[in-house]
Amino acid sequence: MKSLLKFFCSVKLAIFLLIIITLASMLGTFIPQHRSLDEYVAHYGQWGNLFNRLQITKLYQSLWFLALLCLFALNIIVCTLTRLAPKLRKAFHPKVEMESKEISVLKIKEKFKKNISLDKTNKELKRELSSRHYRLKEAKRENKIFLLARKRILGWFGADFVHIGILIILVGGIISGAGGFRKDLTFSEGDIRGIPGAEFKLRLDKFETEYYSNGMVKDWKSTLTVIENEKPILSKVIEVNHPLSYKGFVFYQSSYGWNWTNTSVGIWVRKRKDPSFLRKIDVTVGERARLESENIHISVLHFIPDFVINERNEIISRSLQPNNPAAFIEGWEGDEKIMSGWIFSKFPDFARIHSEKETDLSFELKNFKADQLSVIQAAKDPGVNFIWAGCTFLMIGLAFAFYWPTREIKVILEESQGKTEIIAGGIASKSREALQSEFEKIMTSLRRSR
Amino acid sequence: MNESLLFLATFILYIISAFYYFSFLFKKRENLAKIGFSFSFAGLFIHTIALVLRTFESGHAPFTNMYESLSFFAWSSILAYVIIEFKYKIRKAGPYFMLIVIALMALASSPLMPKEATPLVPALQSYWLWLHVSVTLLGEAFFAIAFITSIMYLVADSKERKGIKSGLSSGKLDSVSYRCIAVGFPLFTLGGLVFGMVWAYYAWGRFWSWDPKETWSLITWFFFALYLHTRIVMGWKGRRSAYVAIIGFLAALFTYFGVNYLLAGLHSYA
Repeated sequence: MKSLLKFFCSVKLAIFLLIIITLASMLGTFIPQHRSLDEYVAHYGQWGNLFNRLQITKLYQSLWFLALLCLFALNIIVCTLTRLAPKLRKAFHPKVEMESKEISVLKIKEKFKKNISLDKTNKELKRELSSRHYRLKEAKRENKIFLLARKRILGWFGADFVHIGILIILVGGIISGAGGFRKDLTFSEGDIRGIPGAEFKLRLDKFETEYYSNGMVKDWKSTLTVIENEKPILSKVIEVNHPLSYKGFVFYQSSYGWNWTNTSVGIWVRKRKDPSFLRKIDVTVGERARLESENIHISVLHFIPDFVINERNEIISRSLQPNNPAAFIEGWEGDEKIMSGWIFSKFPDFARIHSEKETDLSFELKNFKADQLSVIQAAKDPGVNFIWAGCTFLMIGLAFAFYWPTREIKVILEESQGKTEIIAGGIASKSREALQSEFEKIMTSLRRSR
Repeated sequence: MNESLLFLATFILYIISAFYYFSFLFKKRENLAKIGFSFSFAGLFIHTIALVLRTFESGHAPFTNMYESLSFFAWSSILAYVIIEFKYKIRKAGPYFMLIVIALMALASSPLMPKEATPLVPALQSYWLWLHVSVTLLGEAFFAIAFITSIMYLVADSKERKGIKSGLSSGKLDSVSYRCIAVGFPLFTLGGLVFGMVWAYYAWGRFWSWDPKETWSLITWFFFALYLHTRIVMGWKGRRSAYVAIIGFLAALFTYFGVNYLLAGLHSYA
């Protein structure tokens, strides 16, 4: 048991774990995460299967990585606890009495005699130390006085604060991973959706995309209303970086898209031989429109936002973004189909029209309009407050550890034959030079006093 | 006066500074180092104006693409150097450090880096941009000084073993490296990790997603944590400590550049 404790509180284990966790983290950045097994096999051959079996394909969520982190946490806990107890004792119940050789081994020290009484020296020294914000502890023996003066004691605990902060962050991470949930909800304007695990609903009142003058997207804004018991509770316009928080849930502007099912397309029809001829028609997918002054109907059968032909020669939409919008149209003269084919908004000259009957007409896909969708990420992250608390501890700890160095001055005053001998030494947890100069000032002022 | 002209002026001042610093190295006249320092200080001044101007011209923080962030990193490096030089007088490190700054400025001015200020994409429209990037890069600037002083330590140490003394003792270089990391580490923790997590939480909806950039800043942090623990608890000093500090800075550099060009992720701005 004792050897196990010793094993877990060893700094060597901490450093070993730190190195292993670092190497594992690196590995996870070089091997793409969360892809399908096929992709790994295609890219790494037989190694792909091995990666999958070793859970390297989801390294940061793998059991072995989690086990490493737990081991690391255990190491930090044991290290911190075993060091904390003696430190707390030293801070709150220090040993004031000491041997003069304890001082003589210190790097900062001084020893001299003064022709004034013990009490007077003591009073003088205490006044000087107090004025420099030292806290004093004193012990008196027949002809001796022991003084222990310390300041910025929290500096001793800086590293402990840091370690406690890291533990709180790890706990927060585990709580987030186990109890957190995230879901993308797609809204059209006016849609009301229930939130899994919540007693309220969410309505999208309005969604708009703002653009810069150069056409870049400036922001997506969704006006959301929380509805509880059929009553609207509150409304907020959310945008990227400005989510809505309500009852432990947070709603983010996550993405956007279009509802392509009811797209309406604008088609310009021209005659090759008659440049003055131009007809503009607007048709919703699945419907037909008559070409003015001609006995011709145009119907739009399909609209595809991102037209591409795959390796099996099928027409598909590569994405839901309008990267290559295309419409499949048919032209009818009475009951007779005269033409059919694809027209492209980005490639007007590349129409793939198959004509059943000689025709002079040409078609251009000029514009299209679809309802915009707002994708809202609903998230519940019960660990997040632990993270912020842990970060606060971490930063306070770093500040104490680096910039709040504890200073300790130990003094033995001994009276003999009307003279007082002063043996003093100083210990600093960091920046010894600064203590050295303060120590010298204190000693100088003590020498001068009478 | 516009920003690109001021940037050029800054670049020239840094080059002159490096020139004087190097002639100080060869001619060993303290005076030359002082001139070098004045030029780098003048460069810092003009550079500051350039960054302020850039902020007004673009209407956002001056570190939203690679050109801007390189320029800002060069600025923070000079700032960090001026502070360390004032406090610890490490003139001999000046010439080598100026090389890093000039490399950053040269990279920023390379034609590969688009210079025009573009409006901010939605994800970057946050005041966390200011806090996250500036504090992180300032922290990394101190790591850069520790990198130089650690390399100089290795050289000075092997010379001292042969009995050759040079201007800066290995002991001093070792302690300056430590002090730079003692400044850089809290800054990097605050800016890179803490502010990064807070911003990720507001922008992406999760404080940590093991994105390559996030993971690499954690790796960088681990290296410097390793530096501190081996040094403070295990009493490592000198050569081994210097190697850890050097690797730590290389990890920081990879986080800064490598991840953008070699690994794909969420964090695709700069």
